[in-house]
Amino acid sequence: MKEQLAAALAAEEAAIYAYGLIGVHLNREAEIKAARDSEQVHRQRRDYLVDKLDELKASAAPAPAGYELPFEVTSRKTALQLAVHIEDGVCQAWRAVLPVTETNQRNSALSAMTDSAVRATAWRRYAGATPLTMAFPGRPG
Amino acid sequence: MVLTWPVRMSDTRHTRRRILTATGAIVAAATLSGCGLFDDEPEPEPAPDPLQPILDEALALAAAYDLAAQGDPALAPFAEDHRAHAAELAGLIGTTLPSGAAAPPSAPAQQAQSKADLRAAELAAQKTAAAACVAAPADRAALVGSIAACRATHASALR
Repeated sequence: MKEQLAAALAAEEAAIYAYGLIGVHLNREAEIKAARDSEQVHRQRRDYLVDKLDELKASAAPAPAGYELPFEVTSRKTALQLAVHIEDGVCQAWRAVLPVTETNQRNSALSAMTDSAVRATAWRRYAGATPLTMAFPGRPG
Repeated sequence: MVLTWPVRMSDTRHTRRRILTATGAIVAAATLSGCGLFDDEPEPEPAPDPLQPILDEALALAAAYDLAAQGDPALAPFAEDHRAHAAELAGLIGTTLPSGAAAPPSAPAQQAQSKADLRAAELAAQKTAAAACVAAPADRAALVGSIAACRATHASALR
């Protein structure tokens, strides 16, 4: 379980980093607010995961100061693309937590995974991307 | 004169009556169990798979979107998502889908549902799937979790 929780933590850290960058390139009020809200949610989940890993006496690797982005963010368009990419990644990380947890913890992982899938859908809509949804959110590949 | 007391069998300590009674009991037991094994007693119905309701919902939602997509083709991809869920669930449960994988035969003749109705149906189905995910064994949790999340994304996309 530690391994999956640590991977989820890494995904949440990457999301927090990315949203800082994404926000800079957005100019529509609704999108800026969505980026800010998303960043808040990812911070809360980061804290949740740090607590859980503490309980397991697992030391998480320190968050790197920067992240390698999958592509350069230079515009609103690329910022929205990164937001979709980030939420898809977080969704995948939480999905891997489902089989190694039970009851309340699995429920929390499912909530996190579902929230990321819904956020990815919202970012696709802002970006005018289709299809808006996928059949199996969080399934790798 | 009739001998009414038990006749002792020659070299065992059992009486003939006891041996005959015991033999009769064995024959009777064999006959009875033969009834259960080979005769017309029906096999007990196996309990339905806990994921069967999720599969039923997926088929019903696919049918509802098929109908709604006749007026709004943008809804067609949602039907495809639900059909993909139904196919995976059927594989997992080990059941076969009704041919054409359309509406279950009992579905009444319907008219297309509004987006608000579809959204409400997605949210209800998301709840069922989320509960099933939390209750599922580890090897089923990820698939059912993805189905629950997909239903949530449909509901949000219909807003």
